[in-house]
Formats: sequence, structure tokens, C-alpha cells
Amino acid sequence: MAHKKNRNVAIIGVGQTKHSSHREDVNQPELIHEAVSAALKDANISIKDVDCIVHGNMELFEMIHQPDLWHVLGTGAYGKDSIRITTGGTVGTTLACASDNLVASGMYDIVMAIGFQKLQEGHTTGGITNMADPLWFRNLQTGALTGSTAYDVIQEFGEERAKRAAMMYRIIMDKHACLNPNAHRAFGLDFDQVETLMNTSPKLVGELRLIHMCSQSDGACAVIFASEKKAKELSKKPVWIRDHITIHREETFNIFGYHKNYPVLKTHKFAAEQLFKRNDITNPLEYFDVFEMYDPAAWWGLDWLRDFFFLKGDEHLRLVENKEIMIDGSMPINPSGGVIATNPIGATALLRVAEAALQVRGDAGAHQIPKEVKHALASGFGGTMWTVLMMLEKELNW
Amino acid sequence: MALDYDRKDCFIVEGKLALPYSYFAGRVGSTFITTLRDKKKIMGVKCPVCNKVYLPPRQTCERDLTDIRDNWVEVQPAGEVVNFTVVRYDDKHLPRKAPFVMALIKLDGADTPIVHILDGIAPEEVKIGMKVEAVFSSSPTNTILDIAHFAPKKPEKAFVSERTPAGAKGEEPVISQEEKLLKERRKAMSKKVIITAALAGAATMKNQNPSVPYTPQEFAEEAYKCYKAGAAMVHVHAREDNGMPTHDHKRIKDTHDAIKEKCPDIIVNLSSAVGMGKTPEQRISQIVYVKPEMASLNTNTMNFSIIDRKTGKIFIDFVFENTFTMLQDFGKAMEENGVKPEVEVYDLGGLDNWFLIAKQGFFTKPYNFNFVWGVAGGMAFRPDMFMVLKNALPEDSNFTTCGVGIEQFPAVTMSCLVGGHMRVGLEDNIRIPTGELAKGSWEQVEWAVRIAESLGREPATPDEAREIMGLRKR
Repeated sequence: MAHKKNRNVAIIGVGQTKHSSHREDVNQPELIHEAVSAALKDANISIKDVDCIVHGNMELFEMIHQPDLWHVLGTGAYGKDSIRITTGGTVGTTLACASDNLVASGMYDIVMAIGFQKLQEGHTTGGITNMADPLWFRNLQTGALTGSTAYDVIQEFGEERAKRAAMMYRIIMDKHACLNPNAHRAFGLDFDQVETLMNTSPKLVGELRLIHMCSQSDGACAVIFASEKKAKELSKKPVWIRDHITIHREETFNIFGYHKNYPVLKTHKFAAEQLFKRNDITNPLEYFDVFEMYDPAAWWGLDWLRDFFFLKGDEHLRLVENKEIMIDGSMPINPSGGVIATNPIGATALLRVAEAALQVRGDAGAHQIPKEVKHALASGFGGTMWTVLMMLEKELNW
Repeated sequence: MALDYDRKDCFIVEGKLALPYSYFAGRVGSTFITTLRDKKKIMGVKCPVCNKVYLPPRQTCERDLTDIRDNWVEVQPAGEVVNFTVVRYDDKHLPRKAPFVMALIKLDGADTPIVHILDGIAPEEVKIGMKVEAVFSSSPTNTILDIAHFAPKKPEKAFVSERTPAGAKGEEPVISQEEKLLKERRKAMSKKVIITAALAGAATMKNQNPSVPYTPQEFAEEAYKCYKAGAAMVHVHAREDNGMPTHDHKRIKDTHDAIKEKCPDIIVNLSSAVGMGKTPEQRISQIVYVKPEMASLNTNTMNFSIIDRKTGKIFIDFVFENTFTMLQDFGKAMEENGVKPEVEVYDLGGLDNWFLIAKQGFFTKPYNFNFVWGVAGGMAFRPDMFMVLKNALPEDSNFTTCGVGIEQFPAVTMSCLVGGHMRVGLEDNIRIPTGELAKGSWEQVEWAVRIAESLGREPATPDEAREIMGLRKR
């Protein structure tokens, strides 16, 4: 059974900016204000109706201190309770979990979560480097760039198939991004470019190539959470939050290793196993209609499908090869274009929740999947090896 | 807390991180900077809901997120300091060498303050509420430094504050039409400077300067010369033929009358101190007997000695007794006999003594004060102290000054400069400013006249002096 909840909570409004590499025309609070006003408009409420603001970003990435205070002009937190959260790449989903908890607890009826990043203004590596202990090779830290997953997949499935599948994944994501007017990068790639890109895209680390990797984006996302009573009063299409889970359980922090005794990144699997078990979901691939996954690179997106859906052997490769993860496939992944297309870090994971909610509502526009969406899954992932999963439902019937 | 914990093998890793950043100003911030740069205008935005004018401008009103990005209003390049801090350390990132002032300035027309550098004023002079104005940069910087700094606002016109009388409770005293006219007349005569010649004193002897008068005839001759030189008043300590100061009523009256006979116009101001060792009765009875137009009134008991100014050696140690009772009794006696007191102020305490006794209400306006400098036992001349005394005076006051020895001319020059009157004479100083012996008090009067003229003031005639000081002509 799902984790104990005092009362039901629904998403009643989502808003986001157009995401871009540069937004010279707005400062930070102005960028946030775009997402906030869009979310308020979407929910058809005013800032006066909001009881609490939950603000999140990676604090060092813009090189400003106390960002939630800087951003009040855009967030509308003046005179309201306001909480700042930073948990790494997962921050957006943590914002959603915290907002759900704050409303479910009965403390607030309406909470607005705001995820934000303006990566162009700061120095990401300068910020990330501070995660590492100076006594043990702080200088090695470079963020989310690792080639180990590419190595693993190639080892397991052979170079040609692995590289082709990863590039297929990448091109599918770009095709989705081309349908999303808010996406940052939408190149218009096509499947006939698989071979060329496999061999010509500049290498970053091993077989992790530039084209595989997510962007650095400026953007913001706001999501409004309401209690069941308020949601039913205010919204025609509330999206219910069924459950969420946060897993942080690597015994050994190991992002470089290949040794079977020191597994890399098993939090996705742990999170999915626990979440689905307590919600009596035995076949997630069948249960969920759409998955907005936090996929920082094509190799990870490809590999992680197996962890999230308990797949065996090469099932995850075949999902990609058969284009089942495309918007009209059996298990659409990231119809928004995902993280590879758009990555304003503090907003990225909240965008997963927002996009999943839009799919449930049927309001995603050009990137709305063609079949009815009743059950949606969203994930968050962070450089501190966290996994957050959130389940959204169309009906309040579980 | 004890600092004796074990620090053996405790390592510290020293590091340094670069923090590069860009800051996107946004459309609103950019418009502010470009308008400041190109038009030297400081623009805020006004919220139509709460009517606040925000400076720096912003896209939304923080209160309710009202979009105010297009509601530009110009604010004034001047305003007031609402708070400030003094930067007292030097560092390469700082815009000025310490100490300098960073102030929170609310410009006229804005409801929120901005922070900027405040120049052109010493840090200790800065006050919350002071008016300041923007000084624009001569070349563009594309930053807030297109306002180079703020500086104290230049006053649009001179501000003159009326002095309030000591102890005044803010109520306008009721004055007659006649008094009002008199006041106006006195004010009109503020260009006039009353020059007094203190002809002899009690201690200056002929062996110091042969022009010191002893006999009534000598006093008359000296007074006349001073009158011709420009003096309106003489101050007199009568002497015996042998030069000793006297309290003898007849001798004093003879001296007074001789002066008035030779020079009927001049004001005679008699001493109520007379000389050393006189009793209170001896000192005041002669005033009541002679009834001069004016007489000195001393305000405090003090050392009044003769000390070698170079070596500090004491020649004569003497306590000049002026108790509160004497101040009261002498003052009353003078006022009752139509003798205007010239209040002698040897230090600030003396003036305060007068204020205490003046509470009894028998002193008549205008009040006349003489600041005395350089008495061994009193205060040496200091311009600061002069201003303290001047500023402490009650309303409807005149003041003159005298100084012993070389302090004579600096003191009278300052008095003339700041609107007071001047006393010279051999009683105070036997020389002229060149260091030569004065040929008589009249020669010092000539010097005083020159000082007054160079400061744009004219010597008052005795009648003008009477009008200024409120004397009854005899």
C-alpha cells in the first residue's frame, strides 16, 4: 500500500518558460515570473490563493546567495511561507514531493513549487566541484559526464548494437523535442543519421559523445499543488499524486567503477521495486501510459529503462530499437524531449512531473501522446546518486 | 573557552575557487541603465495598485505580482539619506579609499531607496535625513556608476535661524509698539560698532605707559582724544593723584564730571570693581552716588592675579569676590538708579551665574555683555570659546569684548567680525599691534576704527551707542 497520506493532493496548475541557452531579456526573478504567471493562469487562481512557495535550484550555479530571497519579485513569496530546497539534480522532484507532503499534511491547502536555473549566468562546474571533499581529489569533479554506462552497455551487447541503440534513443528524444515548443534543443535529427552521428559527434568521455549529452539551459517551471477539496473546487482536470519515493542507498559511492561488487547506480531499481510493490503494480510497463524520465544522457536513458521497468536481457534495447518508446509507441518515454533536450537543472526534474501531469490531462499539445493517459510516472536523478519517483493518476480510484 | 585542546596532526586544506558569473539585467534593468547613461535620467516604475514607485525599477510589484514593467516614472536626481555605513577598510574591489560612505538614498519621487557612494562629506558629518544629490559620471560606464556618486545637496538659499532666548518656552513675549520700533531701529544699526576706551583700569600705571590718566583733568583729555578718534564710550576706574584706584565718591564724581564737561556727548561707564581690596559697599555706593549711564557688573568670584606670563611666577595673588548676592544687589542697585549694567563675563560659568540671577527678572533689555579675555584667573582668548559665549547669549543682547595684553586686538577683531562691539584702552593693553607703546588709549581706538572699517562696519556715535545698548542719556 502507498505510503500513509493524511489527505489526497492534486496538481491543479503547471507553467513553464520557453527554455533556451540564453535569456538576456530577463533577469532571474523575471524568468521565474514567466513560469509562475503561466502556472497561476493555468490553475485560474491568483497569487493570493497560494499559501506557501517551495523554491528550488542549485544554489551555486548562478553564483548568488539566498536565491529564494532574490527571486521573491518573481515567485510571489512576499508575505507567504517560503521554503528553499536543494537536493542536486533531483531538486525538481524533491520540490514536488515536499509540496505534496506539505498539502497532504494539512498544513497548506495550496502550495506552489518553483524550479529554476539560469545556467548561463554562473559556472556549473565551479558549483559542482564544491560537492567533493577537498581532501580526496576535489579537482576530479566534473558533473554528470561519465562514460562508464556506455562502456557497460557495449560490453554486454556488443559495440555496434549498443551504439546504434543509444543513438536511436537520442534521435527519438530529438523527434519528441521537435514537437515541444518549449524545448531548448530541437535539431530535427532523423533515423538515417544514426550511423553518421555514432561516428562523427565529438567524444566527451569514452563513447559518451556530445550529441548524447543533455544541454545547459535557462528556464523555470512552476507546479501548483492543492488539497483534494480545493482541487475539486478549482480544477476540472486535477491530476492526482498517488505516491512518491526517494531512494539514496548506494553502499559505496562509485561512479567510475566496473566491479560487480561495487555496482554503479542501483537507486533507480531500488526505488522502482519499492514503489511498485507497495502500490501492487507487478508489471509497470503495462501499467503506466507514459514515463517522463530524468535522462541526462542517451546512454543512461537507454540503460535505465531496464532498471525502472524490471526488464530482462535486451528487452530495453528492443523497446528502443522497435521505437516503442516513441510518442505513439507502447511505452512513450519523454514526449517532451526529456532532459537531453532541456536541462535548466533546478527545473528539470519538476518539468518531468509537470509534463507527466500535462499528459494525464491531455493538455500537452503537439507532444500529447495519442492514447488516453491514466497513469503516468516521473523520475528525478541527481549527481548525489538519488532517485525520486512520482506516480500520477487521472482518477482518484486506487 | 580554553584553547589548549590537542591540535597535533590536524590538517587544513587551503584552496581557492574561482566564481565567474554573468548577470543578465533583464529588459527593465537594461532600460534603467541605458536611460541613465544616455539621458542622465533616473527612472523608476510605479505600481498602479499600491501606488509605490520602485527604484531600482522592477518588472513586478512584490506585493501582488502586478506587472509594472511599462509604468515608467522619472524620479528626482536628489533625495535624502535614509541610512548609511562607513567603509573603514581598503581593498582592491572597493570603489574608494577608506574611509568612505555607502548610503541608502531615497530619491524624491521614489518610495524605495537605492544604495550608492556618498562623497564630498566627511564620514562623521553624514546624518540620516540629510539632503543629497546625484553627481553624474562624465563618461558612460553602463553600470549604476553612471551616477558617479551622491554628494550633499547645495542649499538653494542661505538658511538663517532665529536664536531662541535661553529658557524660552516657545511663547512669543508680548511687546509694545514702542519696543518693537526700538528693536527694529537697533537691528538697522547692526552695521554700527561701539568702540569703548578703557582709559586706566585699576592696575596700569604711568611707569608702564605715561599716558595712563590719574587726575580728573587727565581723564577728560584722554576721553576727549578717544572720542575724536571714534570711541562712543569710556570705561573709568578713578585714581588718586598718586595713581592708586579710589572708591572716594567725590573723586569719582569729579572724574566723571570732568569727562562730561570736556566731552558732553560721550558715555561714561564706571567700574563697580574699583580696585583691589574694596568692600561691596565701597564698590556699589559710588555708582549709586554718581549714577553714570553705564557700569560694569561682575559675575563670578575668581582669581584675579598678576602672573608673569613667561615664567608663571606669581606676583600678586588676589581673589576677586563677586558672590551671587553681590551680583544680585549690584544689579538691582544699577537698574533702580537707571545705570545700565555691562555684564562682565570672564568665563562661561560667569554667564551662567548671570542667567540664574536674571531669573529674578529685574534686568532690563537689551542686555549688554563684555567678554573679558586673558585675566590671570579667567580664560585665555580662543575663537571657539568666543562663539560658545556668543551663541549662549539671550535674545536682545549686545556684546563687546576686551583682552589683556596681546589678546586685545585678536579678541576685538573677532568681536567686530561676528557682529559684536570693541573695547580697547590702556587698562587692558599698553601697546598697539606693532608692539610699540600706545601714545594713549586713543591710538588703540584709531586701530579699532581701522579694523572696523576693513570689516565693513562704522564706529557708532555715542547717541547711536545709547540706542543700541538701551541707555538713558544724562
